[in-house]
Amino acid sequence: MDAAPGQAHYSVMKSLDGRGSIHRALVAVVDDDESVRESLPDLLGEFGFDSKVFQSAEEFLVSDSFAKTRCLMLDIAMPGMTGFELQQELKARGQNIPIIFITAQKEEAVRKRALERGAVGFLLKPFSDTALLGALNTALGLR
Amino acid sequence: MEAQSESSTEEIKHLRRCINDLLSILTLPATWTGGTAPRIVGNLLDALVRMLSLDFVYAHLKDPTGGSPAEMVRIRPAWEGNPQPEEIGKRLRAWLENHPDKVSPPVRISFDERDIALVLLPLGLHGDMGIIVAGSERLDFPQQTERLVLHVAANQAAIGLQESRLLSEERRNSSDLKQRVAQRTMELATINDELNKAHAQIIQSEERWRSVFENSAIGVALTDLNGRFIAANPVYQKMLGYTEEELRQLSFLDITVEEHRNLNWALIEELLEGKRRQFQIEKQYRRKNGSTAWVRNSVSVVPGTERVPRFIMALSEDMTEQHEAKGALDKARSDLAQVARISTLNALTASIAHELNQPLSGVITNAGTCTRMLAADPPNVEGARETARRTIRDGNRASEVVTRLRALFTKKETATESVDLNDATREVIALSSGELERNRVIVRTDLAGDLPLVTGDRVQLQQVILNLLRNASDAMSTIDDRPRELVIKTERNESDGVRLSVKDTGVGIDPQIEARLFEAFHTTKDGGMGIGLFVSRSIMERHQGRLWAIRNQGLGATFILAIPCSTNT
Repeated sequence: MDAAPGQAHYSVMKSLDGRGSIHRALVAVVDDDESVRESLPDLLGEFGFDSKVFQSAEEFLVSDSFAKTRCLMLDIAMPGMTGFELQQELKARGQNIPIIFITAQKEEAVRKRALERGAVGFLLKPFSDTALLGALNTALGLR
Repeated sequence: MEAQSESSTEEIKHLRRCINDLLSILTLPATWTGGTAPRIVGNLLDALVRMLSLDFVYAHLKDPTGGSPAEMVRIRPAWEGNPQPEEIGKRLRAWLENHPDKVSPPVRISFDERDIALVLLPLGLHGDMGIIVAGSERLDFPQQTERLVLHVAANQAAIGLQESRLLSEERRNSSDLKQRVAQRTMELATINDELNKAHAQIIQSEERWRSVFENSAIGVALTDLNGRFIAANPVYQKMLGYTEEELRQLSFLDITVEEHRNLNWALIEELLEGKRRQFQIEKQYRRKNGSTAWVRNSVSVVPGTERVPRFIMALSEDMTEQHEAKGALDKARSDLAQVARISTLNALTASIAHELNQPLSGVITNAGTCTRMLAADPPNVEGARETARRTIRDGNRASEVVTRLRALFTKKETATESVDLNDATREVIALSSGELERNRVIVRTDLAGDLPLVTGDRVQLQQVILNLLRNASDAMSTIDDRPRELVIKTERNESDGVRLSVKDTGVGIDPQIEARLFEAFHTTKDGGMGIGLFVSRSIMERHQGRLWAIRNQGLGATFILAIPCSTNT
């Protein structure tokens, strides 16, 4: 609530795996849930990623960030364009950004649908830091 | 000897003539049968004048019934001077009045310078029937034979008159009787006629009432003051499965179910004591086959008459079907309410999960971040403090959600309590804000500051409000050319109640479905069951409130609920 979305850049020159890297990968977070937008960038920063947050799919599409985005953490149920619709749109634009869906919707059908559509990860809120790191590593092909 | 013989011959002739006369006189009564007194006497006078060579004969007849006497005179046709019968009658009447003794020996009177010998012949004992007077100018009148003939004639006349009198009396009596009989017969006929008419009217009336009784569409039963059946019409018999004969062995209390007897009898007593003129009761009867029938009875006491003691009349309407239908309807309503509760609960659960997961996501992510910052070398204490602070904050938010949930769900099923509709509304908005936000609905509230409390079931009222919010949100889901705006307003209304309105800018109400808006299973939504508004209205009615919808001046619709204030506020 007291953290503005724009405050999300986290650029501590620090390497989590000790390899050291100047070029930190950019992870975009699209979620209408403010607490996610507030808390996730710090954790991503701890993991050594750059991050940018957007409160809607539309906001992400109009930003100049999506070309640089290495991984997209995407909420499913959002006002306006849903996470699935954004996935569809990116595919249509030829953008193959790996997507990790983050959702509070527990239904197995939603999970199945997300993975069928090519999502690399599916995290059920609330998720642990290790689950997040695992999903990110998978998405970026780090292991 | 010759002369003696001649005189003897004359004597014999005379006597023979006398005998002939007597025979004639004696045969006269044969012709009198059935005759009247004047006819009898007239006939006799004619015979006497003819056979006795009298100058005249007069009769004075008394009327046995007390009327004026009759007079008759017969005069010898060749009598010299030919005096008028009236003259003779007048003269004799005067003479008779002056000689009441009516001396029987022959008397002589002078009449018109004539010397006339009279023979007075009283009729009946002491002449109470009248008198016959025979008169002649002859000096030898009356001869012995003439006197004999006259006495026999008078006797014959008396007998004839007596018979005639008896006959006429008999006739009079008979005619009198006949007349009386005729009159009486006529009277009787009239009475009979009237009786017949009255009887016909009674029969007609009886038939008419009998027909009303027999053909009435509702049951009619008559009982004595102890409740024992006197009569029951076919509808009544059919309703209960008893024949009239069987019912006459029973009292209506015998066939009334146990739990309705006391009330029923108390009402009957009030009726008999004159405390009420009639009453209505809805109660259950036990049919002959053991099943029960609901009836609505209108009961009254019919006042007695001279012949009929007062009795109780019940008009009985079979309400069994209505009661069964009502029972079925109540069950359906309750089923629907149950379904609605479950579906509302499902929606609430989803809403709650969302509400709770937001702060929990924050808690877990921040806690994870915090741990990592502290584990770093050197530890990022400042960052850790910040994320720990956020963790606490988000934990509190989660706790608040739980508190709100507890407020919603720890209520009893049908609690009745004082409810602040503003608070209840705020909770519903908070719980559904996620959904509304996802549907890009802008919620504005306009809650009155001095809203009185209402009485009711908080959870049920919140279900109604939630339902209205979801409907409004759904109605705007296809709207893209204008803001999806929802205004929730609470206010006091004129009649001391509270109103809550939910106004949207959605598609509005289709006039074609407006009338069916609140019907069960009517829906315009793809996934809807069409029970939300129906159940909402039932809930409002249970709260003595109302729920209705109006079309907005501009776009969309407004749903309004009204509910009375608590009496103690």
